[in-house]
Parts: sequence; structure tokens; C-alpha cells
Amino acid sequence: MNEVYLAGRGLASALGPDLGTGLIALSQGGVAPSRFELGGGLAWPLYTIAEHDADWTARARRITQRVAAQSGALAGQRTGPLFVASTSLDIGARENSGDFDGDYQTFAETVAAWLDWCGPVFTVSTACTSGLNALLSARTLIRNGHADHALVLGLELRNRVTVGGFGGMQLLAPTRALPFGEAREGLVLGEAVAALHLSSQTSRWRIAGGANVVNGQDPAGAVPGAVVAMCRQALASSGLEPHDIALIKPQAAGSPVNDATEARALRQVFDPLPALASLKAAIGHTLGAAGAAEVALLTACLETGIWPTFDYAQDASLNAPLADRAPQHVRYVLASILGFGGGHAAIVLEDREA
Amino acid sequence: MSSWHTLAHVVADPLPADWRDQLAKRLGQRPRRIGPWAELALYGARLCLDAAQEPALAAGAQMRVASLSGPVSAARTITEQARTGLLMPYAFMQSQPSQILAALSQHLAWQGDARFTLCRDKHAVLQLAQQECGAAGLLIGWVEEDQRTEWWRMVRD
Repeated sequence: MNEVYLAGRGLASALGPDLGTGLIALSQGGVAPSRFELGGGLAWPLYTIAEHDADWTARARRITQRVAAQSGALAGQRTGPLFVASTSLDIGARENSGDFDGDYQTFAETVAAWLDWCGPVFTVSTACTSGLNALLSARTLIRNGHADHALVLGLELRNRVTVGGFGGMQLLAPTRALPFGEAREGLVLGEAVAALHLSSQTSRWRIAGGANVVNGQDPAGAVPGAVVAMCRQALASSGLEPHDIALIKPQAAGSPVNDATEARALRQVFDPLPALASLKAAIGHTLGAAGAAEVALLTACLETGIWPTFDYAQDASLNAPLADRAPQHVRYVLASILGFGGGHAAIVLEDREA
Repeated sequence: MSSWHTLAHVVADPLPADWRDQLAKRLGQRPRRIGPWAELALYGARLCLDAAQEPALAAGAQMRVASLSGPVSAARTITEQARTGLLMPYAFMQSQPSQILAALSQHLAWQGDARFTLCRDKHAVLQLAQQECGAAGLLIGWVEEDQRTEWWRMVRD
């Protein structure tokens, strides 16, 4: 079995067009979401990538090419597997054109063509857990020797369907996201394109393990037993015990019910809880891209010590305070994403320089 | 490289005219709030498990679903709804492949690793799924809305 490492990463988000710019914005207190007008007088906050182009496809192509290049994946051979993780794929283009030619794989193959990528192309769509599931699949192929590198792309770009769909489900906050916050009212969605370049060649961050657990009892929310199973399976696959984890990046999207469910379940596994980090107040909930986007941003935060700050009261009843500064000497990190559709996914990262 | 044994393989193509009724009878109820694509997946998965003589999918087994059509009718519906700014929540959820996984988990009373993973090359989808799979094996299906549903229940030898 090969070990699998994070060889490079890229991220375009509301914080900026690349990780470096994003970290500067984060160090200066972050950015505010803009308003996304749906029509009919409906509008919701949305963390948007500040890159304006009326042509959805041209914008997506430009951002994707840039972010993939940031990850270093385009500098070498492009023959490994490419995983495109998204909930919305190219619905932003389709809702404008009304064109439903092509099938469910067409967008991922279009992305591969944008990148001149020659390896096998996979679409992963498991709602919010798409990015982490893509990462787990890419890890499997490298680990088993079927590839020596892979590129995971998480893409979630502006469209009316997603914002309207979440609005219709009454899951969105009217103004801002307050993960684990006392006054949390729901999610704020965000745009992101994230690239994680994985390799069998040794580098700082090792993908130690992970797990994906689906439980459909509540198709729109987290299931406590599934969160517990996810954590335990992710730890077991990494050969670790709960006390080995020094930092957890939970889903923590700002949902009144889900945040409480998640915090309660985490406390069942981890006693005491290690430091907690949330990035959704900085970039929003980027849905299918969230796993890849938050891994990219979190590892960059841990490397630089730049840390998201919180100007709101946290919910003391959760007994799960978010860290207000970068924790020191973090060797093992558990990063999880919970999704509608009963998805609960986590990966464990090892910082080999900690 | 381990070898695999197919416990059951079912394909419904063309679909029987009464497949929805058959499913409702088998489940003891009509599935609610899921779209036609998820319902067709459930029909095929249930047939496959019955053919494998498994009342329930084993804990620890993995489930994979692939489809080139995806939930195309729901996607068209919500795109039209989005033009007016009003989306019906269930139509939006039915447009997400994740809902097929939730429906399968719910109706098969199973919790585990389920994913929608697609590649043009069907062999690549199967190969990846088998590599991700443990001793309890795999339930994998290809589901094309309004056309066909094909499922395999497989375990390692």
C-alpha cells in the first residue's frame, strides 16, 4: 500500500482568487457575503468569487484553469484520475441557456478538456460530502498503486437553482452564517473552486484515512449515530484513537439543529473535545466543493498561523467552543462534512512537520 | 488482486409497465417524496437483494450508484422553477443524486458507505468500487431514468 500525500492545493473563494490572497483577506477579518437576487423580490446572502463575467461557462473555465494550476497538478503529467466533485455541476449554464444536451458526465469531461487532462474522469455527487468522497476515492486509487497522482476538483459556482432550492427548504440565514453561534439562523452558501493535487510522493500533509457514512433517516439533516460512526470509522482507518486528534474541523454550518446534533455527537466520541475550527463564516457553505475547499484553506491556515476570527457569541450550550487562534503542534486533524441526503464524511490528515 | 463472486445480477430493460406497483407491493408502501429516478434505483436494488436472498443489505457492505441520465426530469423541473425564483423544496432535493442514496438507506434500513460516482467507462466505476470495498461486499447499480435499472450484488471470493 502506498501512502498518499497532499502535493499541492488551490482555492478560489470569496476570500480571493487564490489561497495567498485569501489568507491575507482572512487575516484582515474576512469578507462579507453579497446579496444574490433570485427574482420575484427574493434575495439571499451568498459568498461570491469576485470575478464578474456574464458568461457562466467562460468564468467557470477561467477560474478552474487558474485554481488547478495553483495546485501544481498541471505542471506534470496529467494522466492520473481526475475527480470532479459538485452538487450543481453546470446547472448555472443550463439555467441560462435551457440547453439540456449532454448527460451527467458531460461537465466533468468538459472540465478535463479545459485542463488538457488525459486520465480517467470521474463525477462525484453526494451533496455536501462530494469533495471529501472524491478525496477518499482518489486516495484509494493511489494507495492501491493504480495511480501515482490524482486531481480532486471541487466546483460550486453561482446559480439560481441552488440558492432557490436551499431557500425553499428554509435552510438559509437571512444575513450571515454563525457556525456554532448563539444566534445562528441557518446556512449561507458560497462559491468555490478548489483543487487538491494528491501524490504518492512524500510531502507535508498525509491523508491518513477517512470514512463516509450515509443514513437516510433524515434526508435533510445529520443523524447523531451516523456522525459517531463516521468519526470512529475515520479513526480506525487511520490507526488512531480519539485522543490522537488535536483539531477537528466540523461541518458547523450555522444550522440551528444540525450544529447542535453535530456537537453532541462529537462529544460522544471525543472527551474532552480537541480544538475546533470552522471556516464557513469565512467562505460560506460551498456544498459539493466544501470538502476540498476547506481542506485547502485549513491546511494553509495551520501552516501560516492565520486563523478565522469570530465576532459573534458562540452557543455555550453546545459546549463546543471554536478556537480563536491557530492551535500549536497539531499533528492529526479530523475534517468532516455533513450533507443533506444523509451524508456524513470525514478525513484524517497528518501534518508530518508538527 | 482478489477475485469477486456475483451473488445476484438483475436488469430491468425494458421496464415492466407495472414496476411502480411492484415496488410499492414489495415495500408495503409507495415511496414518498422521491423522484422517478430514485424510485427506479430502489426498484432495482430491492430486486437485486431479493435475488441474492438478502432481506437487508449487510452492514459493512458498500453501495455505489452510477447513471448517465441522472435525475434529469427533476433537473429540468427546477431549472424552469428557478426562472420564476420559486423552487419547490422536494423538486430541488429530487434533483440531487444524494437523495437516491438517502432513499436507498431509508428503505433498505441500512447505514453505510454509499456514493454516486460516475465515469464514462463502466469498468472504471466497478474497479474503483471494488477497491473501496471490504469483506461485506458491494451493491452497485446503473440507473437510467425512465429506461433501465441494472444491479449487482458482489462479494470477494
